[in-house]
Amino acid sequence: MRRITLWMLSTVAALVLLFSYRTSTNSAATAATTSVVTTGDGTSYTGDTASTRWGDVQVRITVADGKITAVTVPVYPSENGRDREINATAIPQLVQETLAAQSAKIDTVSGATVTSDGYLESLQSALDAAHLS
Amino acid sequence: MTATSVPLQTAPPRPATPRWYADAGGVLAASSMLVVVALWVGNRGLQDFGMTSLGRLTGLIASDLLLLQVLLMARIPLVERAFGQDRLARWHRWTGFSSFWLMVVHIVTITLGYAAAANANVFGELWDMIWTYPGMLLATAGTLLLVLVVVTSIRAARRKLRYESWHLLHLYAYLGVGLALPHQIWTGTDFVGSAASRAYWWTLYLVSAGAVLVYRIGLPAWRNWRHRLVVTRVVPEGPGLTSVYLTGQRLGELPARAGQFFQWRFLDGAGWTRANPYSLSATPNGDQLRITVKDLGDGSSRVARLQPGTKVLVEGPYGKLTGETYTGGPVVLLACGIGVTPLLSLLGELAYAPGEATLIYRARTESELAFREELEWFATHRGVRIVTLLGPRGPQASWLPGNLAGHTDALPRIVPEITGAHVYVCGPEAWTESARAAALAAGVGADRLHTELFSW
Repeated sequence: MRRITLWMLSTVAALVLLFSYRTSTNSAATAATTSVVTTGDGTSYTGDTASTRWGDVQVRITVADGKITAVTVPVYPSENGRDREINATAIPQLVQETLAAQSAKIDTVSGATVTSDGYLESLQSALDAAHLS
Repeated sequence: MTATSVPLQTAPPRPATPRWYADAGGVLAASSMLVVVALWVGNRGLQDFGMTSLGRLTGLIASDLLLLQVLLMARIPLVERAFGQDRLARWHRWTGFSSFWLMVVHIVTITLGYAAAANANVFGELWDMIWTYPGMLLATAGTLLLVLVVVTSIRAARRKLRYESWHLLHLYAYLGVGLALPHQIWTGTDFVGSAASRAYWWTLYLVSAGAVLVYRIGLPAWRNWRHRLVVTRVVPEGPGLTSVYLTGQRLGELPARAGQFFQWRFLDGAGWTRANPYSLSATPNGDQLRITVKDLGDGSSRVARLQPGTKVLVEGPYGKLTGETYTGGPVVLLACGIGVTPLLSLLGELAYAPGEATLIYRARTESELAFREELEWFATHRGVRIVTLLGPRGPQASWLPGNLAGHTDALPRIVPEITGAHVYVCGPEAWTESARAAALAAGVGADRLHTELFSW
């Protein structure tokens, strides 16, 4: 084999391997649908999974007597240290605001805009499922 | 070479390059820089100023410079005609090293900034970013390719490499620039949130890639297919000099002017892939082209052994050393060594009156003077004054031979009408520099001083 052929073959091989790595393609995760679970404390409504640039966000609310009594975020971007760091402060803040506002009319957390947007999207679908505005 | 084959016809002159070409090029380059800085400011670049913000800014400017670099070398006709390839190549080198260092600053500041925000170890953070952030593995590979290109372009390394190897490695820069794009679009603060800035960035990348495909590959391929150049005659001109005469189809429609050059590839066997720049040494007359090559080793010695009928591939024409702004009046041509070739073709094209043109021809010895009969023909039939400057170089940098180097007023003494003349200079880099300086000192306006470096 000529050296130029070898070079081209190696370049193509390296590119194929690079693009096979999961961060090298921009594949969006499939959105999960809402689900409803009733327990003694009220009814849980799980919102759609919102795909964001940094990963999926999913919000679950518990509703009793037409009021949001609890919010959990089972899925949020936590793939790398920076995401974990940012979201460790942003998510409690978003939950707190949701409980106070009883709706999705809350401010996004500065410095965590991407997660906030995903949170709001998923929250809205959970609210819709619970027939709360 | 006999006087009878001096082309008498002049090619129909191409209209002069409009002055706004250069303005348009400069404005577009500056605007692209302005847009990325504005994006950065708009996305709280100033309010959040710190390591991460600085990293964003340097990253944006570095990638903009990378794209400008690609565009500078894309042989876009408007850009070529406005600035000339020798200048573009120098800018390409300059923007190349600047964008490289900005890229280094970008990597260091982003890593430090992210590590500080996450309270993490710097190397751990870098490792984490490479393997988990979207598009970052690609960006890392792209960075390594750009490092490879920069390292092999440092002058010391460049000299040690064969041209073919260096050129092949240099092509990896395109791949490097391309691999850096995804991480900008997928993780860049300035692109994640805004569809408009993403669209802008994609457009910039696609335009750059398109310019390379159209003007570096498409246009030369089309011209070669259309004109099908072949060697007709190979004529030894003197010690180490060879003239090659070429013909082809529809040569009158090839937009080449006297003083311009092409990149030449002779299909005479192995090693044809390397292109060499040679100027036209005779005025293109619609039927034939002539180049004259000095044996400098590597590719040029093959030229003497070319056989008539050899097929030839060209890229071009390129070059700004043309008569397009000359409208008559005195003209002075300064040549050193093989630099005489484009000036010889200009002598055939420029419409000067008898006595208006002076050719100053610098060579080490009398035996190195080429094209004597042809020059005599111009002296007799067109009234060109030929002045030869013979002798070895002196210790100080000068366009004059060593024994005359002290005469700083030599140029106006040889050509009293120099101040109002159009001046064309062609020779080795250092010589061209000092000849230019002498012409400027003699009062020649920069817009009438035409130079082209044939070694860069």
